Amino acid sequence: MTRPGQIVLRDIIKRHGAVTALHGINLEIPAGEFFALLGPSGSGKTTTLRIIAGLEQPTEGRVLVDGADVTNSEPGDRDVAMVFQSYALYPHMTVFQNIAFPLRMVATPKAEIDASVRDAAEKVHIAHLLDRKPGQLSGGQQQRCALARAIVRKPRLFLLDEPLSNLDAKLRLETRGELKKLQRSLGVTAVYVTHDQEEAMTVADRMAVFMEGRIAQVGTPDDVFQRPATIDVAAFLGSPPMNLLEAQIEGHEISFGGQRLHFDRDLGVARAAIAGIRPSALKFGDAGLAGRVDLIEQLGEATIVNVLVGDKAVRVRSERRPPVSEGQDVKLSFEPRDLHLFDASTRSRV
Amino acid sequence: MKGRSVASASLIAVAGVVLTLWTFPVLWALLTSFKTERDVLAYPPTLVFSPTLANYRDVLFGATTILPNLISSFIVSVLATALTMLIAVPAAYSLARLDLPAKRAGGFYILATQMLPPVGLVIPYFLVLQKVGWLDSYKGLVLIYLTFSLPFAIWLLVSYFEDIPREMEEAALIDRAGRLRALLYVILPQVRGGIAVTVVFVFLNAWNEFLFAVVLGGNTVRPVTVAMFNFISVEQTLWAKLAAAAIIAMAPVILLGLIAQRHIVKGLTVGAVKGGGRR
Repeated sequence: MTRPGQIVLRDIIKRHGAVTALHGINLEIPAGEFFALLGPSGSGKTTTLRIIAGLEQPTEGRVLVDGADVTNSEPGDRDVAMVFQSYALYPHMTVFQNIAFPLRMVATPKAEIDASVRDAAEKVHIAHLLDRKPGQLSGGQQQRCALARAIVRKPRLFLLDEPLSNLDAKLRLETRGELKKLQRSLGVTAVYVTHDQEEAMTVADRMAVFMEGRIAQVGTPDDVFQRPATIDVAAFLGSPPMNLLEAQIEGHEISFGGQRLHFDRDLGVARAAIAGIRPSALKFGDAGLAGRVDLIEQLGEATIVNVLVGDKAVRVRSERRPPVSEGQDVKLSFEPRDLHLFDASTRSRV
Repeated sequence: MKGRSVASASLIAVAGVVLTLWTFPVLWALLTSFKTERDVLAYPPTLVFSPTLANYRDVLFGATTILPNLISSFIVSVLATALTMLIAVPAAYSLARLDLPAKRAGGFYILATQMLPPVGLVIPYFLVLQKVGWLDSYKGLVLIYLTFSLPFAIWLLVSYFEDIPREMEEAALIDRAGRLRALLYVILPQVRGGIAVTVVFVFLNAWNEFLFAVVLGGNTVRPVTVAMFNFISVEQTLWAKLAAAAIIAMAPVILLGLIAQRHIVKGLTVGAVKGGGRR
């Protein structure tokens, strides 16, 4: 038998009264994978996680774990552990008691509880805090305590709901790396909900991008970033996100407003399309899309230049400060392979 | 700075007046309880007198003992409190957590029962208890006390349960506790302050109750609030003994108040300030 922890979601629909939160989610997460559910707030990613956990019942559809239908099982019978956004530590218990709680609930012998709690606490570096109450811990320590409580029982599935969102930026970076290492060393399947694309990109083996209750795309972070499947995914990913311009294409030519650009690559029959170009793919040059510099934003490591092309703002990101100034007329060029084309009516990639 | 000191001075003045108004009857009763009946009636009133414990001795162990009545009060109050809490805690938890239909309407109904004047209820209650033969019985009086203590306790407890994030019991459910153990191990310990406050209020309400006790009680069940009237008769009022009995009856109330003081202040401000209610 392969190692346990495979999740399959089949046609999951979730309705809250008249509102449909999930419109038929299909997903397969192989055992041992670190899988991210990424999407803006209200896109259904947390609901999906809660359905996997058993905290919510789908209106329709099945949840399978290792082939067994667990759709109607209680959360406690699913062998899942979860880290909540608020951590949900039990405030009246010490750190030790918090971590020991899931073991106590299944009548584990005391000696075994002791050893397991210490082991879990050491893995997340809070072994020296076992006698404290959660209220006496810093945010980062509370987060580790919640992690320890989740890993102490060696669950089949490890569910994380925005676990880093309450940490400050520096701690988030550190913890993110440790989380990934921890998951690898445990070999457990992890499902990770986040609205932070950078987090999803760095941690996940694969991810699903949620948009308005549907999965817009599933793939490795690289796949999703390099080849966004829809306009919405393209507009969601990247910092700043991809520039999206209305365009007409015909054969080797693409025109934005009145401006025509010639390509070596054949773009297909004449039609309306949405052209996507990442801000980092645009260069200032002598030829290309004509526009006027509207605003220059210094980010320290990079510079974002807002260029008005017609009445549309286009962002250009460069590592070095480009030799342009506000109000200047410029031309923007890009490589043909950096052009993403989306069908204007179906909104999906062509 | 000056405006602030004027404000605090007037605040202290108001507090002083209120305190005087409240403590005067208690102090009067305290002083009177140590006087002889003759000193009580002295005019002008004497502030300096030779104190005596005779009233307490008579009231506790003499012919006019209220000891059985104290026990009666204690039995009624403890039973009413225990039963109330046994039902109110799960009821309040359900109201706070489960998505029941008509939850709002039910909550309002619970509160609305508190608005009925007890005098309007005492006659129907009397008739009901008479029919089932429960007049002058502990089960009868306790049952009637439940009709007002239960809604009050539920209403008070609901806000404590609502204060606890749902994620708490979700975490417990995932940690394999199940609903019942989630309540016992995770939720109840976090609302113990609220439970303490509710116990105190319910107990005191039962202990201080007079109207139902005097109408529905009798020779078997005669709480101390009713028994005190033995000291008032057509011929005379035994002020000193009445005062001693009152002080004894007040003692548990004051004691409980002092013990639970910290919780009560928190309990009354629950929900007033975010996170101010708990811990």
